[in-house]
Amino acid sequence: MRIQVRRTGGFAGIERFAEVETTGRADASEWHTLVERALADGRGTPPVGVPDGFSYQITVDGKTVYAADPRLTDEQRRLISRVLREGA
Amino acid sequence: MVAGGDSAVTHCDDCSMPTTQPTSPAAGGGTEPVFCAIVPPHVLDKLARHGDPVLSGPARRTIQRDAIERTQRNLATVMGAAAVAPRAGAEPGKPHRTVYDARHGTDLPGRKVRAEGQEPGKDATVNRAYTGLGATFELFLTAYGRDSIDGTGMPLDATVHYDREYNNAFWNGEQMVFGDGDGEIFLDFTLPIDVIGHELTHGVTQYTANLTYYGQPGALNESVSDVFGSLIKQYTLGQTAAEADWLIGAGLLAPRVTGEALRSMKAPGTAYDDDVLGKDPQPATMDDYVRTGRDNGGVHINSGIPNHAFYLLATELGGHAWERAGQIWYDVLTSGALKEDALFTDFATATVRAARERYGDGDEREAVAKAWEQVGVRTL
Repeated sequence: MRIQVRRTGGFAGIERFAEVETTGRADASEWHTLVERALADGRGTPPVGVPDGFSYQITVDGKTVYAADPRLTDEQRRLISRVLREGA
Repeated sequence: MVAGGDSAVTHCDDCSMPTTQPTSPAAGGGTEPVFCAIVPPHVLDKLARHGDPVLSGPARRTIQRDAIERTQRNLATVMGAAAVAPRAGAEPGKPHRTVYDARHGTDLPGRKVRAEGQEPGKDATVNRAYTGLGATFELFLTAYGRDSIDGTGMPLDATVHYDREYNNAFWNGEQMVFGDGDGEIFLDFTLPIDVIGHELTHGVTQYTANLTYYGQPGALNESVSDVFGSLIKQYTLGQTAAEADWLIGAGLLAPRVTGEALRSMKAPGTAYDDDVLGKDPQPATMDDYVRTGRDNGGVHINSGIPNHAFYLLATELGGHAWERAGQIWYDVLTSGALKEDALFTDFATATVRAARERYGDGDEREAVAKAWEQVGVRTL
């Protein structure tokens, strides 16, 4: 499973992108559970965020959902920060 | 950057029934009734002005959130009646600040750590936020006669230490939120006073011109926050237009980053050029206008154009930029004549008109028209 996160906007307006390929990873099932929960609450279209808030695009195996600060679910927040931290 | 397919879609999808649901962090946490589209607006409006806070609180928050979701709506109009209600502990012409600590979590507003009138504590971040809110309040009051964000003494709430290594600050429709930065690229977002002023000005814009946060009106919304953010810094330092650095976010970038700030109003596109961050993408003129769907249609990118126009006007007029140049911008923001979906040319035209109305057909009007001409924005 390939998980991609694109973060745009924010005060600085600087974009960040990272992706994680879970195939072959020891913690793959943990990622899959997190992804399932994060995607369940994602939106099909980009929400209008708050001024200077980050906007997120989460793409998993080609399917994309959108979310924006500060209205992220805990699972979305965890998934996003993990991918941006651990991904390449 | 290329034109993207992303588009702003505005609809309230948080709920579809007037039932009890967990509220978003923006609504203040806890569980309370959420009134949504199924409740007619006039009922919501009436509820918002109800004497019982149990009824008025959730209704007002619903209106506020709805106003953010549907950026077409003018919060100032909807909230007008409620805004004049007396506020506990607030004196006219005095700030009513509260700083909260999210303690690295994301629940807003967090734990109250400093209320109005309390002495500084040990946390420098809390103290900076408190002082920055005070400076912003003071500029709007003394320079423009505006009593707080909404013009009627609205309390100024800020949350610091939001999340962990959080590289951002934002206005959530009700309050300011500041991250600590990751220490690698960004430092504490309360460090530059113009960042605090920038966030608070988003509140002022929400209650006045309510510029749609997308595309050109979004870039104007951003630019207005940069303009008054910079003016707050200049006012605090007592600087003239010639003395000011015209930078946004100076002191926010970690030492290893190659850059002096996040944006430059004096020379858009030159604030940073770094291996990790990339290069400052801001244009200074319409020739380099960036078409993109990202960043809400480039709101933090194309804001460079109106930012530079303001800089050109302020330096042409000379002296304190918050006086004549700032006054003209403030007049446009609060005139009620600007549409929420105003384009650069609409805003520019309004500034020329505002300059004439306030100062007659003199240097000011001429300097305003010249500044827009230099950045390639047409005035009608």
